[in-house]
Amino acid sequence: MDKENHSSKPIIISIISLTLFLGIWELVCRGGLIDPVFMPAPSKIFARAVKLIGNGELMAHTLASTRRVMVGFMISSMVAIPFGIFLGSSRLFMAICDPFISLLRPLPSMSWIPLSLLWLGITETQKYSIVFMGSFAPSLLYIIEATKSIDPLLIRAARNLGASKLDVMREVILPGALPQIISGLKVMLGIAWTCIISAELVAAREGLGFMIMNGKEYFQTDTVMLGMVMISITVMVIDVVFKKFERRLLPWTR
Amino acid sequence: MDTLNGQSKICVNNVTKCFSSKQGEVTALKDLSLDIRDGEFLVVVGASGCGKTTLINMIAGFDTPSSGKVLLDGKPVTGITPECGMIFQQYALFPWKTVQENVEFGLKMKRIPKSERKAIAAKFIDLVALNGFEKSYPHHLSGGMKQRVSIARALANDPEVMLLDEPFAALDAMTRQVLQEQLVRIYEKHKKTIIFITHSIDEALLLSSRIAVMTARPGRIAQEIVNDLPHPRNADVQLSDNYMTLKRKIWDSVQAEVLKSMEVETG
Repeated sequence: MDKENHSSKPIIISIISLTLFLGIWELVCRGGLIDPVFMPAPSKIFARAVKLIGNGELMAHTLASTRRVMVGFMISSMVAIPFGIFLGSSRLFMAICDPFISLLRPLPSMSWIPLSLLWLGITETQKYSIVFMGSFAPSLLYIIEATKSIDPLLIRAARNLGASKLDVMREVILPGALPQIISGLKVMLGIAWTCIISAELVAAREGLGFMIMNGKEYFQTDTVMLGMVMISITVMVIDVVFKKFERRLLPWTR
Repeated sequence: MDTLNGQSKICVNNVTKCFSSKQGEVTALKDLSLDIRDGEFLVVVGASGCGKTTLINMIAGFDTPSSGKVLLDGKPVTGITPECGMIFQQYALFPWKTVQENVEFGLKMKRIPKSERKAIAAKFIDLVALNGFEKSYPHHLSGGMKQRVSIARALANDPEVMLLDEPFAALDAMTRQVLQEQLVRIYEKHKKTIIFITHSIDEALLLSSRIAVMTARPGRIAQEIVNDLPHPRNADVQLSDNYMTLKRKIWDSVQAEVLKSMEVETG
């Protein structure tokens, strides 16, 4: 009985606080205290959502952005994981690549937008490249760090059992660093979303960033805010999916 | 030295090992020589910090001597040698692998097919009495069980020599005793050459066929004692005069070295 109270109370409080917030917002807008172009009422945003869901636009924009994030992020991770493990295990290789990583890392993904538009035009490839450039260097650093956190004793044990250096990377360093790599990639996924929304705000024909920018052009503040809410919800949903996936990948941590 | 009873399996020849540390150059081992015969159960006893682990690491090929040579079957050890299966005090099991996958590791590295691997692993899991735990991950096991997995993992790889670096030091007394008995049984059955490091004189007397006592740093062999106590070394043997005489002999030489190393630390 006591336990149940403990687990359900915070959720109830959260629901109450959210409802209260929306209620006050609604009342303030209805009372004419705020210009609806400046800040639309929640009910207006909801009505816009219903309309855009009905004509399929909201889903199309959300899927477009999600697809771009996923493709760019997958490519970036698939290159960064082996590359990072290799860099983390070889001092020579690290010394060769270090200056380039150090130069790339501080560059915000947005600074790549002009160049990517010149090279690739307003295409899907350009969107993927922005996500890639924004998340690759930081992912790489996470993975190199994760690689270095492996207990050297495990590497010794593996070598003693006949593992080659390549075997060690595949059988010891990769699985040993995986929990850290995954938590790093979770942060990177958030960064990938920042990248894609920025890219879509600058130049796109679909996607949540485009929807927000387009809404602003027509003074549809409700569309703008709906786009923002949609980004939040999408990232939250992906986070939950990612967590499920994480547990599947790391059965020994259960 | 006396290589009369069988040939020398491992020959540590005038080995010196120096490390550079913040306090300057440290000599861990100085002109250490030791012969280990094929099929022998050699226990190396020494106070902490005397370079026991450095010695075993050089035999395993994790480390190279600053001068001198380590020979395995007459050939110098130049790299990590899977012929010398190592068992660590901290178990060194792969946490992301199940008991079975851990035991199969060496076989997998030899590219032995899965079905064959499974059969061999099953045999050694059975040997260390861990049936039923094949699918468990190491963090679900107790310390003693972990060390048994580690022993099975080393044995499954069929090394000629087994190196054990204070393997039972982190275990409680009861578990330690069980594992000691198991190890003796494995030794008798599988006829491996074993080098076992410990700081416990009783453990040395219970397990060994020969004991090497190390000096304080820089480590050398102070004394080599043949241990011909009868097996099984049960409570009766442990209370015999023979046992006490041997224990006293080792204790005297270890004690002198412990005192010496304490002087070095304070002085």
